[in-house]
Amino acid sequence: MQIMKNSVDNPAPTSKPTPKKVGMIRFEAIIPLAIVIGVIVFYFAFFFDMHLRRGLEYGATLTNGAEVNIGQLNTSVWNASVVISDVEMTNPSLPSSNRIQIGTINFHLLWDALLRGKVVINEASITAVQINTPRKLPGRVLPVQQGGLGESYSDKVLGKIKEEFSQNVVGDLAAIAAGANPVGQLNEMGADLKSNTLLAGIHKSLDEKNQQWQSRMAAMPKGEDFSDMQRRLANVKLDNLQDITQIQASLKELESLRDDFDVKSKSVQTSGAALTADLGTFRATFSELDKVIKEDVRDLQAHMRLPPLDAAALSRALFGMDVLGKVQQARNYMEQARSYMPVKRDQKSTSDVRERKAGHNYAFARLNGYPRFWLKKALISARSTGGSTLSGEILDVTSSPHMIGRPMMATIKGDLPQQGITGIKAELMIDHTTSMPVERLLMEVGKYSVSDRSLVDSQNVKIRISKAESAVKFMAELREENVDMHLTNQFTQVAIEVKSQSDIAQKMISASVAGLNTVNLNAHVTGVWSELDWQLSSNLGEALERGMRRYLQGEIDAARARIESQVNDRITEQRQNLYVRQGEMESSLKSALTERQVQIDKLRSALDGARSKLEGRKNSLLGVQQQKLKQGSGKFLDDLRKKF
Amino acid sequence: MTLILKQLFSLINLLNSDTGTNQIAAGFACGLILGFSPALSLQTLLVIIFLFLFRIQIGAALVSAFFFAFIAWLFDPISHVVGSAILEIGALQPLFTTLYNMPIIPLTRFYNSITMGAGVVAILLAPLVFLGSRRLIFIYRATVVTRFKNSHWWKMWAGTTLFKWYANYEKLRG
Repeated sequence: MQIMKNSVDNPAPTSKPTPKKVGMIRFEAIIPLAIVIGVIVFYFAFFFDMHLRRGLEYGATLTNGAEVNIGQLNTSVWNASVVISDVEMTNPSLPSSNRIQIGTINFHLLWDALLRGKVVINEASITAVQINTPRKLPGRVLPVQQGGLGESYSDKVLGKIKEEFSQNVVGDLAAIAAGANPVGQLNEMGADLKSNTLLAGIHKSLDEKNQQWQSRMAAMPKGEDFSDMQRRLANVKLDNLQDITQIQASLKELESLRDDFDVKSKSVQTSGAALTADLGTFRATFSELDKVIKEDVRDLQAHMRLPPLDAAALSRALFGMDVLGKVQQARNYMEQARSYMPVKRDQKSTSDVRERKAGHNYAFARLNGYPRFWLKKALISARSTGGSTLSGEILDVTSSPHMIGRPMMATIKGDLPQQGITGIKAELMIDHTTSMPVERLLMEVGKYSVSDRSLVDSQNVKIRISKAESAVKFMAELREENVDMHLTNQFTQVAIEVKSQSDIAQKMISASVAGLNTVNLNAHVTGVWSELDWQLSSNLGEALERGMRRYLQGEIDAARARIESQVNDRITEQRQNLYVRQGEMESSLKSALTERQVQIDKLRSALDGARSKLEGRKNSLLGVQQQKLKQGSGKFLDDLRKKF
Repeated sequence: MTLILKQLFSLINLLNSDTGTNQIAAGFACGLILGFSPALSLQTLLVIIFLFLFRIQIGAALVSAFFFAFIAWLFDPISHVVGSAILEIGALQPLFTTLYNMPIIPLTRFYNSITMGAGVVAILLAPLVFLGSRRLIFIYRATVVTRFKNSHWWKMWAGTTLFKWYANYEKLRG
């Protein structure tokens, strides 16, 4: 603008005004800079705590799955400290109460570490911890995230287990007791049995195999080949041989015939052995068919809601979901621990997971340096609330366990009399200091009250523990992908409530559980995450089995037999047909093979005979010649003697 | 916001004047470093302090930072490769270990492959951008501005009373 204005107002170039001289430092910016700094200070003094509190509430709500409230949050830049008060974590399954309520969380950060971009807390305190406290207003519960595309194989396996456990075994048994015919619709079922499909597949495969076998047989030396050799053998001169030369010529011819025979007979034997092995393998698919038939029977039983009547299945139906919940919880905590406290594998994997876009963070940490995050010690106490004696400590929570070389340990013990919980003892060890992650939890609760705990909630029957005293012991050890969990739960002074629309079902289940004052549950889950072995047993399951068996055994056995006969009826014809076809093919192939083998054996023996005959004749001629030679030499010696 | 707008107008003003070439060129060079650095890092803070303290054209820095941030985003994969190569140099490991464990320095996030790669590229390119933008400003003034001021409609506009009033105001304001 300046130059354009000059060009119009002052056309002469000499009249350009000299620009004002200015220094390098922008002194006039000092005041705006001071204002900016002032605004930042003002924000941190009056608004930062509030925004941080809201941010923490938001993040904790996402992690907890239900509303988390933080009453107060105070930060101090000079002391590098944070004080969080009145933390309430809503119980997602009971929004009117808090899962955990914490009075105060207080921690000081090290400025020395902060200047290095690290967070190190020497000692923190978590006081006035309470559990299961009532909320003034019910907390917001977040919708449960369903497994999406990122679902791992182990998640799918756990999902299948969940489906199995959520099947209404007891309800189905009660329905049968009430008069439902479990196999009433069996005749209306379509012919879509797995065994049918497998049979059709085997038939098709048999056709293909037969073609292969026939072409193999065709490629083998034929009967004419051996007949031809037989003719060649007949033409070999074996008798009236007068000299060695004739014998040698016959032997040579015999040798050539023998070579041809060896090649052809070997080919027949090799192909025959391969064919026999192949036939054996094919026959083995029939045992697969038996397995699939059993599977069909099981599927139909499940489809017809014909539940198994055994204590193990009933125990799984009663307590499986509880145990599964604990296993899933353990898995979630394990995944979080492995994500935030990674094990040392190689340089790249030890880096911090927080990255700028797709970049990679390298760790150049020293052994005596600070990890990115390190909570050295946190004291937990609930002593100030309602006579509680709960106390514990958490040691060495860090983002780089291999750097500090110590596992994270958390211990807690004491009583919460206000909540009626005594004998709490928990020990958690997370060892990610080596390349093999190990997590171990031991948890015991000596006594706690249970009320209105639903065991079965179906249309046909409802069973619940209306009141009981309970004790629980839980041990879990996770080592890489391996899982080993034990759960022992004992309910004493049990009052079991049974409700059913059917009088018979009501009577049957009530009679089964009558006099049961104690209920035990023993669960043992082992294996790897993708293949877990669930062993659940409960005396309640056994009592129900005994009681229900009296009423239902006959009916269930009859229904099961009907399903089995139905499946067998549908496939018998096809199965018979398959066996007949397979038998015919096998016998035809075997007879062709046997025929060749007979020819081979016959020819082999003829060849051997001819050879031994020629060898004999050869030896005899050689003996005569030797004799003649001996006589000739004796006469020659006599003549010589006479001369001298 | 007023400060930023003022700086942007000042940039247009300076571009079309005979002065402030170095200020604008330095602004572009600082913008390059700003654009190539993570938003929350020590080096960004240092460049901003530099912009305030020294007579560098802030408008030029902000406009070019916006532009170079987009370029940096496109070149992230290359920056990652360059940064990884530097951070994996065996001879520099003791230096990086010392820097990583020193106070303040880790706040630059030099240990991140993209930050390191983009940072090194920005530092190497900054003098070139400074010299290149100086040259481009001269060319711009010699061609675009001269042609513009010789155009008929500009001469008509410059002859209006309104423009004369504004020119007088500018002269008095200095």
